[in-house]
Amino acid sequence: MILPIGPIHPGLKEPLRLKLKTRGEKVLSAEIDYGYVHRGIERVMKNKTWQKGIFLSERVCGICSYIHTQTFAETFEKIAGERAPLRAQYLRVLTNELDRIQSHLLANSTYFKVLEHETLFMYMLSLREPVMDAIELLTGNRVNMGWNVVGGVRMDAEEKHLQSIMKIMNELEEQYDKYVEMFEHGPLLGLRSHDVGRMSRDDAIKARAVGPIGRASGLKHDLREFHHTYRDNFDFKVIWRKEGDNFARTMNRFDEITQSISLIKQVINNLPEGKVRKKIDIPAGYGDWRNEAPRGEVSYMIETNGNLIRNVSIRTPSIMNIDACAKYMLHDVATVADAVATYASVDPCIACTERVVILDESGKNREFQGIHDINIK
Amino acid sequence: MLDSLKDIIRKSSIHVCLINTGGCNGCDIEVVALLSPRYDLEQYGIYVHNNPREADVILVTGAVTEQWREKLQRIYAKAPEPKIVVAIGNCPLSGDVFNQEGSSVYAPVSDFIPVDAEISGCPPRPSEILAAILGVGPDAIAAKGRQKQ
Repeated sequence: MILPIGPIHPGLKEPLRLKLKTRGEKVLSAEIDYGYVHRGIERVMKNKTWQKGIFLSERVCGICSYIHTQTFAETFEKIAGERAPLRAQYLRVLTNELDRIQSHLLANSTYFKVLEHETLFMYMLSLREPVMDAIELLTGNRVNMGWNVVGGVRMDAEEKHLQSIMKIMNELEEQYDKYVEMFEHGPLLGLRSHDVGRMSRDDAIKARAVGPIGRASGLKHDLREFHHTYRDNFDFKVIWRKEGDNFARTMNRFDEITQSISLIKQVINNLPEGKVRKKIDIPAGYGDWRNEAPRGEVSYMIETNGNLIRNVSIRTPSIMNIDACAKYMLHDVATVADAVATYASVDPCIACTERVVILDESGKNREFQGIHDINIK
Repeated sequence: MLDSLKDIIRKSSIHVCLINTGGCNGCDIEVVALLSPRYDLEQYGIYVHNNPREADVILVTGAVTEQWREKLQRIYAKAPEPKIVVAIGNCPLSGDVFNQEGSSVYAPVSDFIPVDAEISGCPPRPSEILAAILGVGPDAIAAKGRQKQ
C-alpha cells in the first residue's frame, strides 16, 4: 500500500510529498516528490548586478540565509582575487556560527516534536530565542540579515553588543548540558532513536551525503577545515560519529553547537581592529566557492562580465541529504512513525532544494524564459 | 443565547493551518518561534496543527508557485466556515524579490483566495504575527459565523 504524507501535514514544516510503500505498519521503501516551492531564483538572478543578486541569494533559504550571502560574496571576491579585511572575516565567522547554532537547535526541536516529546521541543525553542536576540543585536534583523556585501560586511559591531553576545553564549553553555543529558541518557528517547534509520558509511558516500548527516555516518568532512579564515585563525575540530542512526545525527548536531560556542568566544576575544569593508573592482570571469552551511556543503558557481551576473548555479546540501534519506534510510523501517522521525532527523530544507531542468525531446537541456512561457501538461 | 455561546467558544479556541506556497522558509520559522515559551501562542487559545479540515485561520506564507495555484484553492475550500486568511510577509502581498521577469511565481495570493489580513515584512517579527492573528482572528471569526446564520 502507498501511504502519501504531505504536502500539508502536521509532521512537516514545509511542503513536500513523502510516498511510503508499506506492508502493514512496516515501511518498505520511500519516494519523495519535490516541486512545491520552485521560484526560479537562478533564472531571475541572471543579468543582474551583484547588489541585486545578493538579496536573491539570501532568499534561497530562510533558515540558513546567512551562509548563502557569504558564499555569494566570497565567490565574487575570488573572481577579483582579493579577500575581505580581517575584521570582516572574523565578523563573518561570528554570524555564521550564531546562524549554525539557531539552525541546529531548530532542527533538533523539530525532531523532538516528531517524536512527540513536547518538553524537549519547548526547551530547544527557549534556548534558541536568546541566540536569535544575539543575531538581531549584531545584524539588526532576525532572519534575513542583509549583512554581507562583496568586500566585507555592511556595518561594524559595537563593543557592548559583542559583550552581550558573550554573555548570551555563557548562559547557553551553562544550561545546555542539562538538555543534552536528557536526550543522551533518556530511556524513552534513546529507544526511539538508536538503530533507527541507519545509513552506513559506504551508502553515505554513494548518496553524496554532506554535513551533519554524512558526518554522523562516519564521513569526516567539514569544509570549515579548508576555509582560509578558520584554518589560519581558529582552533577547530571536526565533530563526527560512526553509528549513522537518528541518535547519531541528533547528537552530532548537539556537539557541533558546543564547537560553535567555542568559536564565537574565540572571535570575540581575538577580534582585530580595522576596517570592515573595502571596495573591490570585479573583472569579467568565472568563479566558484564552497562553504559549510548548517546542513552541509553549499556551492556557488558564478560567471560575470564585470558588471552583470551572466550565469549562476547554486548547489545546496539538502538535495543530497533528502535523496540519501529516501534511498538508504527509509528502507525497511519498522513503523511509519519511525519513518517520519527519520525524515525529520535529516533536517530537510525544501526551499533550498527546488531545481528545474527542462529537457526537450532529443534529451538536451533547453534554455527557457521563465515558467510563464511554457505549457506544462 | 446559543449564538453568543458559540462566539465565546470560537474566540478562545483558534486552530491554525500554516501553508507555505513558495517562500524562503523565513516566515515559517518565525511561526515556529511563536510556539516557543517566550511568545507562547497557546496561552491565547491558538493551536498550530497544519490540518486544513479543522482550521479557523489559514496562514499563507510565500508567493504562489506553479504547483500551488489550484492546490491553494482546494485547501481553502476544505477548511470549514467561518474561516479567515492571514497573509504573512511580503511574498503573498507582492511576490517580494521573486516577482520578476522569468520567475515562476504568481503573486499576490489575493488573486486566488480572499485575504482578510496582511502583514508586511521580510519576515515580520513573531510579535507582529501574533498581534495580527489576535487582532483579526476572534472577532472576524465570530462575525463571519453570525453572517452565515
